[in-house]
Order: sequence, then C-alpha cells, then structure tokens
Amino acid sequence: MTSFLGKQLPLLVAFFAGVTMVIAFFTSEQTISNFAQDQLVWVTIVGGFALMLGAVSITTVSINHIKQRKEGWQYRIPLLVFLALTLGSAILEGTEQGTMYDWVFQKMYTPMDSTMFSLLAFFIASAAYRAFRARTIEATILLITATIVMLGRVPMGRIIFSYLPQVTDWIMNYPNLSVQRGIIIGAALGAASMSLRIILGVERTYLGRS
Amino acid sequence: MASRVAEFLSSIDRRYIFLLISLSVVFPLIFKFPLPVAISPETQALYDRVDSIPDGSTVMLTFDYYPSTLAETEPMSIAALKHLWRKNMKIVTMSTVGLGGPSIAERVMATMAKEFNRTYGIDYVNLGYKANYTAVLLGLGTSFRAIYPTDFYGTPLDSLPMMQNVDKYGDLKFIYIVSDNGIVDYWVGLANAQFGASMGAGVTAVMAPKFYAYVRAQQLVGLLGGMKGASEYEFLVGSEGMATAGMGAQSMVHLTIIGLIIIGNFAYFWGRRRR
Amino acid sequence: MSPQTTQMFEFTLAALLTLCIFSYLYRDNPFYRFAEHIFAGISAGYYAGLIWHAVIVQQLWVPITHEGTFSLFVPGILGALMFTRFFDRISFLSRISIAFVVGNTAGISIMQQLHGYVLPQVSDTITGLETSGTWYALVGGWVIFAGVVTTLLYFYFSKEHKGALGVTARIGIVFIMVSFGAHFGYTVMGRVSLLIGRMQFLLRDWLGLIN
Repeated sequence: MTSFLGKQLPLLVAFFAGVTMVIAFFTSEQTISNFAQDQLVWVTIVGGFALMLGAVSITTVSINHIKQRKEGWQYRIPLLVFLALTLGSAILEGTEQGTMYDWVFQKMYTPMDSTMFSLLAFFIASAAYRAFRARTIEATILLITATIVMLGRVPMGRIIFSYLPQVTDWIMNYPNLSVQRGIIIGAALGAASMSLRIILGVERTYLGRS
Repeated sequence: MASRVAEFLSSIDRRYIFLLISLSVVFPLIFKFPLPVAISPETQALYDRVDSIPDGSTVMLTFDYYPSTLAETEPMSIAALKHLWRKNMKIVTMSTVGLGGPSIAERVMATMAKEFNRTYGIDYVNLGYKANYTAVLLGLGTSFRAIYPTDFYGTPLDSLPMMQNVDKYGDLKFIYIVSDNGIVDYWVGLANAQFGASMGAGVTAVMAPKFYAYVRAQQLVGLLGGMKGASEYEFLVGSEGMATAGMGAQSMVHLTIIGLIIIGNFAYFWGRRRR
Repeated sequence: MSPQTTQMFEFTLAALLTLCIFSYLYRDNPFYRFAEHIFAGISAGYYAGLIWHAVIVQQLWVPITHEGTFSLFVPGILGALMFTRFFDRISFLSRISIAFVVGNTAGISIMQQLHGYVLPQVSDTITGLETSGTWYALVGGWVIFAGVVTTLLYFYFSKEHKGALGVTARIGIVFIMVSFGAHFGYTVMGRVSLLIGRMQFLLRDWLGLIN
C-alpha cells in the first residue's frame, strides 16, 4: 500500500494531470475544457500550500537553532518575532494598506530588499576591474561589446559619439537577438522533452529519494 | 617604477572601488546636468501601440516585480499609468510575484488614483496574487472568475462595476507587463500564443536582452529596458520622474566602470610584460 | 504623532535598515546579520500571510462554506498532504500533491514550449530571409539566421567540434560573445539603477539634499 501511494499513484497522478492539459490544448469540447479549467484552479490552490512549506520550515529550523544554542542563535529571535508579527497581522487585520502587515512590508522589507540587490553594483564594478581582461579574442569581443552597450544605453554615450545609440540598437536587434533566439529554441526543445519524460514517468527525480 | 604602478593598481583594496562608485552616483544626483534623450525603437513602438488603443478601453497592467527592483520597475508602472489614465482606460492589475507584488500594486495604484481622481472598482481593480503562475496565466484565458473568485480585498468580481464585462484575455484591449523576472516568457508563451492577447513589456535591464527575440517575432509589440527604458517612456508621456532623474548618475557610473576596466587591463598587460 | 513626524520616523527606520545592509560592503558584521534575519522573517511571514488570504480564505474557505463548492476539498486535501513532508513516516504522501502540480505544469509546458516559442521563433527566423524588404532588413535577416544556426550548433555537444561543425561552432562563439557582452552591459546598467534608487531614497526622501 505504501509503495502504491508513494510510487505508482504519484506517477499516475502526474500522467493524468499532464495529459489533461495536452488534450485541452487541442479540443474545445466543453466537458474537457471545464475539467482542465477546474484542474488549473486546483493547481493554484495546491501551489499555494507548497509556498507555505517555506514558512513552516524556517520556523522549525530557527526554533531548533535557538534550542541548541547554535552559532548566531540570537539572530533567530528577531527572525521569529518579525515572522510572527507579519503573519499575525495578516490573519487578524488583513493584508491591505493601513495594516501592520503592509507597513512592515513597505517600510522595512522594501528598503532592505532594494539595498541587498543594489550591493551587486559594487561587486560587479569590482569584478569588472579585477577580472574583465582582454586575454583572448573571445574575451576581447565580449569586452568591446559590453563597453559599446554600456555607453550606447546612457545619454552621455550620445554626447561622446552621436551614432552610439544606433550601434547599440543594431547589436541588440541582430547579433544579440539571434543568440537569445537560439537559446530560446534550444531551451524550449529541452523543456518540452523533459515535460514529456515527466508525463510518461521516465523522469522521476521530482519525487525525491525513495 | 612602472612595474610598481602596475602592482599597485592590481592590488587596490576593493573598498576604494566601492567608494569611487558611491561618489559617481552621489555627485550627479546632487549636481544635476541636462542630458539628451534618445528614444529606442522598442520604447517608441510600445508607446505608439498604447496610444493607438481607443480611449476608455479596458486593459491590464501587471506588477510582476519584487521590491528589490523598484528603482527600475516602479517608474515604468507610473509612466504607463499616466499614459493609460490620460486615455481614460479602465485598468485591471494583478501580480504573479507573491513576495510584494500585490502590495506594490496597491500602493502605486492608490497613489496614482488620487492624482487622477479615479475610483476603485469603477476605474481600476487589483486582482492580487494567486499561486502557480503557469496555471494562473493559462486559466485567465478562459475565466478570470475561476482563478480569481474575488479581488485582492476579497470582494467578488461580479460586485465590481468595472468587471461586469471582463472575464478573459479577449475582453482586454492590451496587456502591459511590468516585470523583473522570466514571467514575460510565460505571458508570451501562454497568453499571447494561445489566446492572441496583444502585449508589451517593461522589464529590468538584466532581463531585457532576451526579450528582443519576442519583439522581432511580434509576440511583444514593444519593450522598455531598465531605468533607461523607463526614462524614455517618461519623456514620451511628458512627465519626467525618478528614472529621468537617475540618468546622470547612470551615465557617470558607466563611465567609471569603463574606466576601471581600462585601468584593470592596463595594469594586467603592463605587469605581465614587465614579468 | 503628526504625519510629518510619522513620515520622518519611517524614513529614518528605512534609512537605518538600508545602512545596516550597506555595512556589508565594509565586512560582515552584526548590524548586517540583524537586518538580514529581520528580512528573512518578514519574507516568510509575508508569504504565509498572503497565502492565508489569497488561497486559504479566498479560494477555499469562502467558496466551500458560502457557495458549497465541495469539489474544492480535493485541492484542499492535496495541499494539506504537502505538510506530511515534516513527518518521516508519512512523508511519501506529499509526493501525490507534488506529482499533481508537476504533471500539470509539464502538460502545459509541452504546448507552451513548442507552440509559444519554437514555432514563432523559427518562423520569424525564416521569414526574415524573404527578399521583399529593404537590403538592410535582408542583411539583418541573414545575420539573425546565421546567429541562430551557429548558436544552436555551438551548443550541440553530441559530436566533437571538428571540421564543418568546428567552423560553425567557432562562428557561433563570436555571436555568443557579442550577446553575452551586451548582456553584461545591461546587467551593469540594471545593478547601477538599483543603487541609484537607494541613493535617491537616502539623499532625497531621508536627508532632503536633492529635489
């Protein structure tokens, strides 16, 4: 029974869920369309529960961290306090403007998130200084293109050389586009075959270890 | 002497570079100077398409971005909103980004609604967020009400005057995507390819190079790339905002980084030749 | 508290958190780690709170209790099964829910990839070679065609890159380097924009140094 519920049933579920969506693409038959639409609604709900796992997981890990007095356990306390505050406020007050939930997000989370990503500007500049070397022909091509694009995409580039924006447009719309298109086509073919393997039960790694 | 200079340049503490970058941002923000604006063809195409939509139509504006990229994406949303509301359009908003999307949408829409004197439920609706974007984007092609039984606030869609005749992509004249992630692929691959929805996108600079392929294939009508794209759109709608204000600093930092690359290479090759 | 005082308090709080994160540029330190953990706590709480309303209340509780849509018990149960992952003895049950989501996504993906990307992109690559346009467009069409083909061949690793394949792969790498260079330029542009955004906040909203 355990083997059926843990192995065969998930493969059957994946097969039917996948096949339903493929058939629904080709047919306008009402029963199938309705069933496919219901399935999509169900998936949005199950997907929501999956996102909740993260909150449960970080809570249990943090509590264990504090209990066992692991290194940096003190930092887990504000983590749990703000998790509880945000979630508690959502449940008691709601998520709209004027709630503690929204305030904590807009006034605390947003500046931190924006700043974390802005740190990358410093690291990318430092990396460009240390590692961006014209050692080979390929690296030189990359370097020259990057320089043209960096200049061509800012207003000052036009002052330096009036045709830079047009040169940049050409690079983006022809050589760049062609490579991105090649990658899109290649990745799409790969993703389609992987999807087929999942539906047919050949690919099972998503089920985890047995 | 020369080799010592090369060695010095190679061993500069990275914190000096950080300081240099900070100064390159701060000075142009404080001491502003006028800069020319060059409109890229993709921005112009998006603007022209939006401009050609009949006044009063219902369109969708998405907030598919995290707070981390607000500097690039929020000016796009604001400029788009100005364009859409000057044409008295009804706007449906939604987000496929759980971590912040619906709250950002609510804040931006409420602020702009005050400026344009628009009413929730009549002039705009915030659908909010639902999990699993693949299923959401496919499901919306058939029924908004199935995927979103209520709006962000829990109000049934049927109770909102603006939503009376809106239930699928076919009821929208245009979808204006503002995103900082790969969701544009899904909009193109599902909403455009399977339901023929007309759409354009404003995306972060990191994502932009990929989406030129969709513009060329007419899967997207136009594209805004990063803060520069946002500043171009601000210029076109005649309302210069945060993106335009940042262009001086953007230019200066680019010049600084190019200078750093040149110095780095100079130090590397000079040092190598000496050895 | 007056609105101005409230706003000043909010800006100062946001600025202090911003500076805590920026302090990482000097080195890892307790201020950064404190802010980092608050950040993690809020993100987990935000997600859970959003799902509580958007999914559990709006998509499950209200439709089942108010409208009698009992079929929604199915995704409700499948969702609940996800949590069996935290109990070793019954954790295998969560696979059923995962399989449902993965299978559904795979089914959508097959058509999405072929119909949404492969066919339109291949089609546009070929129609770009039509001679009805200007010579500029025609040359552009051939550049794109060459770039697409050589890029695909460069990523074809089932055969050694020698002979004709070697030559085309070599051309492919030139195209790829141009594209990656453009990508690098755009990445710099994006990251710098985010830094500008933060500086605008500090200098304008918080310190009032700029308009």
